[in-house]
Amino acid sequence: MKDTEDILKDDHFKLLAFLITSARGCVVEPPLYGPLRLVDAASRLIEIMRKEGRVNEQIIKLQKMIKERMDLVMYDEEMFIEFLDELSKELAKMLKSE
Amino acid sequence: MNLREIIKGRRAVRDFKDKEIPKEKLMAILEAGIWAPSGSNIQPWEFILVTEKAMIEKIKLISPGLFGNPAVIIVLCINRERAKRGGKLGGITALMDISMAAQNMMLIAYSMGIGSCPIVSFSKSALKELVDIPEHVEPVLILSLGYPKFWPKPPKRRPLEEVVHVERYGRHFKG
Ligand SMILES: Cc1cc2nc3c(=O)[nH]c(=O)nc-3n(C[C@H](O)[C@H](O)[C@H](O)COP(=O)(O)O)c2cc1C
Repeated sequence: MKDTEDILKDDHFKLLAFLITSARGCVVEPPLYGPLRLVDAASRLIEIMRKEGRVNEQIIKLQKMIKERMDLVMYDEEMFIEFLDELSKELAKMLKSE
Repeated sequence: MNLREIIKGRRAVRDFKDKEIPKEKLMAILEAGIWAPSGSNIQPWEFILVTEKAMIEKIKLISPGLFGNPAVIIVLCINRERAKRGGKLGGITALMDISMAAQNMMLIAYSMGIGSCPIVSFSKSALKELVDIPEHVEPVLILSLGYPKFWPKPPKRRPLEEVVHVERYGRHFKG
């Protein structure tokens, strides 16, 4: 068993805490904050994959897109939704090339 | 900076430098909080100052809306026992009071070059457990504070012409 000190530093645990507390937040927050938390979680997951050497350039690109554009939710809803579309399209491009 | 520049220049900061905030500045920020107006001067607030890195990290874990690595966190809480003195409206006024205290803190912080972000996206139940907040005290807002890596661009504001009504609702301000 790991001790708490180690667990608190574990990136998987950090993502777990983020997911649990986001779930509660989604009950009361603006509807678009659900998608925001999901892409934020995706970016955090990519970070873990990156540290473990399990990414390629396309995955890094997805993370870059998320980091640069997730804030749009606070400023421009339409552009945020457009960004979500582009993110899925980028993912599809990656699937196609495999 | 004059007050108008401070009001217009303050931004929600979500990316902080790894630099501590001197104690006198923190005291000035907290003091600005208690000098906010409050309904019937009830002062229903309790402020929890968090400077320990380990605790800040834990609060980050339970706060999906907290971005960056702030040097300091202030948790603004409503003391429900005090707020009761405001009658049926006590709960709502307490929230207004807290908001005014928070704005005072953010403005004075900005005037000293310190960035801040008000945050409601955190887990209340988890935060209460983490920092031992008693039952009758409710954390309602977190302020993250630190020296910004950069000052974000100002997000758009609805224009005065749209927001202001002159003498009667619907008679829009023409500038
Ligand atoms: C009551 C309140 C709650 C907020 N909660 C959050 C939050 O949870 N996370 C966050 O990043 N920003 C939060 N903000 C910051 C707003 O997004 C920000 O103030 C707004 O976009 C305007 O930008 P400005 O403060 O730079 O002018 C909050 C602001 C207020 C007033």
